[in-house]
Amino acid sequence: MNNSLFGFEINVWLDALARLGLIVGVMTVVAMGLIYGERKILARFQQRVGPQKTGPFGLLQSVADAVKLVGKEDLRPNAADPWTFELAPYFVFIPIFLGFVSLPFLLDVNIRLLELGLLYFIAVSSVNIVGWVMAGWGSDNRYAMIGGMRAAAQAISYELPLVLSLVTVAMLAGSLNLKDIVEGQANVPYVALLPLAFVVFFISTLAEMNRPPFDIPIGESEVVGGPFVEYSGIRWSMFMLGEYASLWILSVLTAAVFLGGYSWPFGEDFGKGYQLVLMAAKSGIFIFLVFWVRASIPRLRIDQLMSYSWKILLPLSLVQVLVVGFVQVYELPDAFLTVAGVGGLLALVSITGRAVASSRRLPGAARTMRSEAV
Amino acid sequence: MTTQDLTGTIWSDVDRALSGVTVRAERGLLDLIVYIPRDEVVRALRALKRDAGVSFDYLRSLTAVDNEDEGIDIVYHLYSTAKKYNLTVKTTLPNDDLTVDTATAVWRGANWLERETAEMFGVRFRGHPDPRTLLMPEDMDDTFPLRKSHPLAEIEVLQGEGMGYTEEDR
Amino acid sequence: MVASPQHEFETQDLLINVGPQHPSTHGVFRMVLTIDGEVVKDVVPYIGYLHRGAEKLCETMDFRQGSGFMDRTEYLAAHNAELSYVMAVEALAGLEVPERAQWIRMILCELNRLSSHFMFLGAFGIDVGVFGTPFIYAWREREAIIDLFEEISGDRMMYAYFRPGGLAWDVPLNFKERVREVLKSTRQGIKDFDELLTQNEIFRARTEGVGTISAEDAIDWGMSGPSIRASGVPLDVRREEPYLKYADVDWDVITGENGDVFDRYYCRLLEMRESVKIIEQCLERLESGIIVPDKMPRMLRAAPGEVYIRTEAPRGEYGIYMVSKGGNRPYRLKVRSACLSNLQALRQMSVDQYVADAILVLGSIDIVLSEVDR
Repeated sequence: MNNSLFGFEINVWLDALARLGLIVGVMTVVAMGLIYGERKILARFQQRVGPQKTGPFGLLQSVADAVKLVGKEDLRPNAADPWTFELAPYFVFIPIFLGFVSLPFLLDVNIRLLELGLLYFIAVSSVNIVGWVMAGWGSDNRYAMIGGMRAAAQAISYELPLVLSLVTVAMLAGSLNLKDIVEGQANVPYVALLPLAFVVFFISTLAEMNRPPFDIPIGESEVVGGPFVEYSGIRWSMFMLGEYASLWILSVLTAAVFLGGYSWPFGEDFGKGYQLVLMAAKSGIFIFLVFWVRASIPRLRIDQLMSYSWKILLPLSLVQVLVVGFVQVYELPDAFLTVAGVGGLLALVSITGRAVASSRRLPGAARTMRSEAV
Repeated sequence: MTTQDLTGTIWSDVDRALSGVTVRAERGLLDLIVYIPRDEVVRALRALKRDAGVSFDYLRSLTAVDNEDEGIDIVYHLYSTAKKYNLTVKTTLPNDDLTVDTATAVWRGANWLERETAEMFGVRFRGHPDPRTLLMPEDMDDTFPLRKSHPLAEIEVLQGEGMGYTEEDR
Repeated sequence: MVASPQHEFETQDLLINVGPQHPSTHGVFRMVLTIDGEVVKDVVPYIGYLHRGAEKLCETMDFRQGSGFMDRTEYLAAHNAELSYVMAVEALAGLEVPERAQWIRMILCELNRLSSHFMFLGAFGIDVGVFGTPFIYAWREREAIIDLFEEISGDRMMYAYFRPGGLAWDVPLNFKERVREVLKSTRQGIKDFDELLTQNEIFRARTEGVGTISAEDAIDWGMSGPSIRASGVPLDVRREEPYLKYADVDWDVITGENGDVFDRYYCRLLEMRESVKIIEQCLERLESGIIVPDKMPRMLRAAPGEVYIRTEAPRGEYGIYMVSKGGNRPYRLKVRSACLSNLQALRQMSVDQYVADAILVLGSIDIVLSEVDR
């Protein structure tokens, strides 16, 4: 049985192997690039310069880091559960890689176009939390355990709004095939029709990636790195690689399902180069937003995080699903969706503000007091 | 109970609050200093806190001074947030019985200050709710660093041979 | 075996050890938290890791050496620490400090308050979970102030610039211009923090109503400085018993209402504006003149006696109790540490809060371990 790869007919197994090698290679390079980019961008936000000594503009910083991490001793605490501890990084790493399979990078450039691509993506993307809990449990460290438990609680809470906002996209496109979803946006990207779903999706992805302000499982100032606290060397770097891989995957997914992927604007094919620029720009915007949030927003507390998901994001995304269904059943114009979405967005903002205000237990701020002396 | 002229100080108010307590007062550089026998000191402190005329509700500092042969003085620096009064209360413990009642029942803030004084001077605060060491290691209960009899030079011995000063250098 | 419904699900409290090596303990502080899930049930603080016997050492140092040693007990506000010591010596030795020296002392103490509070703001930003941005912002402003100190005293942290009787030497000729320059950047820095943290919804949600302590409790524990003023007690030594020239300048005592973490943060921020105000007035009234008394004795000897000098350091009341029996060194020196007393109230403030909040409470009282342990 043969398959075609870059126009060559090759054996199915060789093909699978080649594609696997391709993902791992590209993935590693991109993740290293993202780490460099994050360091540079954060540095700019903080009036620093960032990496600059290793190679031109510090471009080789990630390479230097990788070499250092690989060279470090792979430590395991005596009391740790050996199997759980040592397998945990793979349980984080492999599901994230599996997510690559169905992603539509460019037109007909993907690992394997799946008919149920979106469903498949949702299924594999939530598996990595098992690895987090394993790392937390297996480390025999109380910080790690608290971190692992937090990660599980957070993943369960934010998986729902994430999936529900993707459901609305699937309803509009009428397909779970990511290629169809991208091509369905040739004229109007779904972000224009579903602004609320997009914002809910963005917030949920931040939580899904354990990025600030939802970096509660790894909260440096509380649980000192959470599940990773006992890891070192190559295993630790696998966690980090996984983190940046999922950042890249989710940025591509966002570009594909909400921002029109490679087909919007113009909806015509101007060649692979044009598509590449479109995808890079769209996922770049997403990645930049994630870095920006990291540089400027404090961490939420675990109870605030949970109540925000269950009490605000989840009901709103359910309403969004209802509205999309309503529009489709009664064949209302698409503009109705936009209006409803903007309305929903305003509701989200005002509810968020009110929720934040009510989570304060006491009103008022400091006041100045003039003393009678002077 | 005083020979000095204490007009212009808060002495009259303090004296009223401390009726029934043996007290001797003297004018300090900044604050009034009162000497109270140690058996009466906590009763006096409580009176000073509760009396509306002075209401010393704030314990600034609590410490001790080792006067070698004359015993150890426990020194309380009080402040009244309402009246803006300052007062120093001193009591002398004889060297053969370094015990005084705890002031934690009067101000909770005395807790750590007393723990520190206890470990540094070997004073026992009777009725202290948490008599562990504060700054010193837990097993360091036989040596009292801030006493005058505690030599500073012993540290050099701890540094090992060839380090620090020898007797001849000094 | 089937669990009967009456059988209660057993939970166990977990002990976690925070510190002495933990990113959020601000030095070598250790506390053992008893937690039930995410809620703190008990806190047992341990101090003493940085105890160097400052009080005992000062008994062997003469008055000039002693003032230099005070820097080591309070390294973030060394000018304020020196001030208490030299004022105690001056009181015992009967020295009159010239006008100019007093104004300069006041300027430097207030500048030191600014630099110390910047340090607090930066570290607090990290505790709340913003990745580095407030820290670097604070560092930038603090750096300008520290540079000025270096120009004046020759050292960045351990100044030994205040001497009994006056100052070590006069300030540089361009002192006034340099201070104004620094104040300009400081004012901008305070504004930056107001916008970065105070106006951030998540920051407010995290800090307001957390770790409250009532005015009565704060007084009972002997708290001082911004930590007690946040509870609404206008206790400020600069106002209650003015030393230096604080009675001659116009400024406000900042008090809070709720005594929560936010008020302790915001009191410090507002206090910095007052400090700027004080310094500006000092600069206007600073005239040329002598900086040590004309009749300065060659060998400084104190009269027998005792004095308890208190000044308002950035973290609260920094008191020096000095007993002299004549001679050129103190017979007994006691440092009244503001942080030690503030830290005593930690347990009361953090019990029944979330783990993340216990970290914030610790950050909000702004401890310097070298002052706690001495």
